[in-house]
Amino acid sequence: MVATGVVRSSSMDSSGEDLRDRIIELLPRLRRFARSLARNAQDADDLVQITAERALAHAGQLRPDHSVAGWLFGIMRNAWIDEGRSRRRRESRLEPEELAERIGDPAAGADQELLCLQNVLARLPQEQRLAVALVLVEGFSYKEAASIMGVPVGTLTSRLARGREALQSMLSETSGALS
Amino acid sequence: MTLPDEVLMAYADDELDARTRAAVEAAMAADPEIARRIAQHKALRNRVHSAFDKVLDEPVPARLLQVVRSEPVASGTNKVVPLRRRPVRRWAWSQWTAVAASLIVGMIAGRLALVRWGTGPIVMRGGRVLASGALADALSHQLAADQSAAGPVRIGVSFRAKSGEYCRTFTLRQATALGGLACRAADGWQVRVLAGTESSGGAPGAYRQAASSMPPAVITAVGDLMTGEPLDARAEAAARGQNWQR
Repeated sequence: MVATGVVRSSSMDSSGEDLRDRIIELLPRLRRFARSLARNAQDADDLVQITAERALAHAGQLRPDHSVAGWLFGIMRNAWIDEGRSRRRRESRLEPEELAERIGDPAAGADQELLCLQNVLARLPQEQRLAVALVLVEGFSYKEAASIMGVPVGTLTSRLARGREALQSMLSETSGALS
Repeated sequence: MTLPDEVLMAYADDELDARTRAAVEAAMAADPEIARRIAQHKALRNRVHSAFDKVLDEPVPARLLQVVRSEPVASGTNKVVPLRRRPVRRWAWSQWTAVAASLIVGMIAGRLALVRWGTGPIVMRGGRVLASGALADALSHQLAADQSAAGPVRIGVSFRAKSGEYCRTFTLRQATALGGLACRAADGWQVRVLAGTESSGGAPGAYRQAASSMPPAVITAVGDLMTGEPLDARAEAAARGQNWQR
């Protein structure tokens, strides 16, 4: 089963070794979250690396009542937004023809569905994409997701609703275009 | 009764309090359109979640583990550490080979309740991943030529690494079958590679040849690490006789 992310850090000592272990344990989930934000696996892992570096450099800011997972996802969210400006210039979105081509590539075969969803997520505005990634991909509660994004729950809810609606309509278009 | 879409979405996400939930359920019973919209929200949630869930099964790149292990930790609460904007290191293939000595793949941590402190076949200590319990026991004592098909661990090949230590591949029977590689270190068996095997889902006891079910990541690591030939039955028994010390 998928681990639900909230593990309190109260039992953690300050030696840093426990934090390292927690980060290592959360790496698969951090990679998953990064994959829903970044355009390709390489950029996603770069984002995970930046997150880990920042977390270790700022370990003192992790308060005992913080969830380590929530704290790390928050760091990744900030890192992603920081990187956003330069990234957005480089980034070109996959057009449906190209997507169809990639889907036809047997090497990408196993990940067709993932690729398709990454592509539609990439078209969402930043804040909607974060809301969708935190709640649908990572399974955070609205409250946890709002706290990671630093917004009230109501704001999270409306971003999530708009993101989902856009996602739904893009997905029905995509499946129409490819079938 | 009209319900805003946000409420239907929150119902699909199990975020409503009992009273609102009951109201939605009543509305759903009365109006198939509401039921359809809720089902659509749930389907989208499941679709997105299960697509990205596959990422959890991928091996974690060694460079990430290396960063987490080697970056200094700033633990002082008042210490202000400037945010460095440092280029991300991407490793060339040659460096990857050098890192093979500390390679771990596929932590799968969130996925299987496998990595635990102090319990289970694999434990983490100070950022190192060590075999424990039945796995450690099998690595130390089990011989490939003489093992029960029903045991929780199956030993594959044993060999001498270029750096001198003994290493052994193993298959671990969990809910999902796992294949891995462990090498003998001073403080126990260090798990270098761990990944899901092809044969997962097979009936217990229906083991194929160790090589055929071994994940490619393990086979690659064996190729990178091994010097000479794999140990034959006699050499394996002899190595066990000296407790896998070099």
